[in-house]
Amino acid sequence: MTATTTGVPSPAVTTTAPRPSWTAVFALAAFEGRRLLLRVPVLVAFAVYLAWTVWRAHRVGDGHPALQDVDRATQGAPVLVGLAVLLSVHQAVLRSRRYDTERHLSVLVVPPWRRTVAHLLSVVPVTLLVAVCVGVQFTWQALKPTAVGHGSPAELLVGPLSVLLFGAFGVLLGRLLPVPAAGPLLIVFLFLFSVFATAPTSTGWSRWLVPSVGENSSATLPSDLIGRPAAWHALYLAGLALSVALAALLLSGGARLWSVRAGAAAAVALTLAGAWGQSRGVPEETAEARVRATVAPEKTQRCVARDATTYCAFPEWGPRTGDWAEVVDDVRSLAGGDAHERPLTVRQRIEARYGLDGDAALAASPHPGEVTVGTSWGGNRTPEFAVAVAVVLVTGREEASGAVCDGRIVPVMWTALAGRPDPVADLRRVRLDDSVTGGAIVLSQTETLQMTAAHTEVLRALLDLPRDEAAARVKANWAELTAPKVTTQRVAQVLGLDAPEGEDACQ
Amino acid sequence: MAQLLRPVARTLPWWTLAAGGGLGLLLAAAPRLTGDGASGGSVPTALRAAALAFALGAAFWLDDPARHTTAAVPARRALRHGLRLALLAPVAALWWTAALLLVPQPVRPPVAGITVEAATALALALTGAACAVHRGDGTRPGPAVAGFLLVTAVLSPLLCPEDWALFVAPGDERWPAAHDRWAVLLGVVLVAGAACLTEPLRRHRLRRLRSPSGT
Repeated sequence: MTATTTGVPSPAVTTTAPRPSWTAVFALAAFEGRRLLLRVPVLVAFAVYLAWTVWRAHRVGDGHPALQDVDRATQGAPVLVGLAVLLSVHQAVLRSRRYDTERHLSVLVVPPWRRTVAHLLSVVPVTLLVAVCVGVQFTWQALKPTAVGHGSPAELLVGPLSVLLFGAFGVLLGRLLPVPAAGPLLIVFLFLFSVFATAPTSTGWSRWLVPSVGENSSATLPSDLIGRPAAWHALYLAGLALSVALAALLLSGGARLWSVRAGAAAAVALTLAGAWGQSRGVPEETAEARVRATVAPEKTQRCVARDATTYCAFPEWGPRTGDWAEVVDDVRSLAGGDAHERPLTVRQRIEARYGLDGDAALAASPHPGEVTVGTSWGGNRTPEFAVAVAVVLVTGREEASGAVCDGRIVPVMWTALAGRPDPVADLRRVRLDDSVTGGAIVLSQTETLQMTAAHTEVLRALLDLPRDEAAARVKANWAELTAPKVTTQRVAQVLGLDAPEGEDACQ
Repeated sequence: MAQLLRPVARTLPWWTLAAGGGLGLLLAAAPRLTGDGASGGSVPTALRAAALAFALGAAFWLDDPARHTTAAVPARRALRHGLRLALLAPVAALWWTAALLLVPQPVRPPVAGITVEAATALALALTGAACAVHRGDGTRPGPAVAGFLLVTAVLSPLLCPEDWALFVAPGDERWPAAHDRWAVLLGVVLVAGAACLTEPLRRHRLRRLRSPSGT
């Protein structure tokens, strides 16, 4: 042993310092990046993130997604990956302390601040992976033929940027507080901060300090009325991630380099600019456009005439006219009298004045022959729209539907539902309590209808008949069935059904 | 026993526990500080987060850098761990009382129920640490246990099935049923923890050659 060591020639004494090598930094970053991807918390977080995303993907917008909502839906789940990255990066930074190899590393050519750079770079592969996941999630929805609207790239950037931010926080924490308990406790502290910032009592600007900002309302608005400062928020997140990363560099010996100091100053300026931009609230012109779209939607809408019906929609919903026309044609084909050629206007209406702060109910349209259609479609919205069309065909005005409480409910509900693939299932969907017997409230985009137990009984009996026979009976007696104040008993009698036994009084 | 008390008390990670406990008290006081004390909608969440913070601090409680050298002392591991837990118990009780007192009286959730939840979190942390010591060979299982506890805490409200609700609001009609479930969980965790307190007679996996000091 002694012989071999003495045999080794002592290294030549160098007078110049070894040239700093970025190759070593990149090699270290690649190693740490690979290790980070294989850490248990990160793997678990990715598994949950992917499972959750795939499970949700089938339910987005009932198969009719609006892309201005889909982009925001990509933001929440990456936070889970971000927290796992924070925990794992923090542990990775502390690894050399844990195994007491700090002394060995300190003789290497890679100074501590370069090792910090390598740890910061190791977050990049995870971030890119999340970016790919977000991209796939959005593209999947965007490629559906039923998709409408426009996504915002700034909203899509929030998920990957929040992972980057959490990773940078992990590195900073490793340099600031080199104890293993700090990582988990920082996560709990961040939770506290997010609760503070997003508390209902908090003002507008503090709401935007957290990475992923949700909205109170699930309503879909045209993309130019959303009014979220998405680009400023992405700038704020990018600036904050850079600031935190450069702070970690400053703490680990990078403060001697003017480029790091200048970069840190620039990153803080970027963060402040983003924070200022995102706290300015809804721009004046967006607020005006919201009022215009709510009060006078016809000014921005495009109308298409098909047969006797005119379809007026906001420009982004133009491709959905075909879906609406299918339902309208179904309902018209089942109605009798002059209902086939009576002119109808299907108008898309929204309540946009409060933005996405809260859900507001739409008032029924006062114009004769005008049917309201909302911005979402599929699921319960389709039979609700069919009911609205049938109400206008029978009563002439949408506004009148709340006051209808007589036998006309039966032809209204039958023309709306009989053309659907499964009428009884759709009856369950449009009723508030999901029942198919007894009395219930029937939901629609605007006014609700009231069905009594007797109405339900006659309707179910009519739906049980073969469709052609029922259609023949309804069409033959259309005028009598749709006369105001007709009683349910009379409707049953005219249709040749048993008289209903249930209660027949509206509350 | 008395001779053992002082050295054990000296080696305990008091600072970590203090950090977790301090953060926990801050969390428990959050509803009062934000002015949300009147409605109290965030109180159960704040208390649960506080209990989690304390449990995260306690996850490091069984860390003992000198474990490999103390394996041969006459006092059994169950006794040594029991001593550590006995030192933790009064601190935890005092801390939880303080956390509860920080919540304004009118919006305080039912004390028994929320206490069972906090006790389960703490028991899970300590059981995790005891099992890590029991199964593994490491001297400091703390970081891994804290990570496990955090992952559990983040995922369980997300993945908990609807008909086995655990995280319910105080006014909810499912509160008593949920706390029966919490009590069952606490029992299971405690039994598992008790089983892990002993020193295993033989290691479950092949041991590499190691000196008693673990290097």
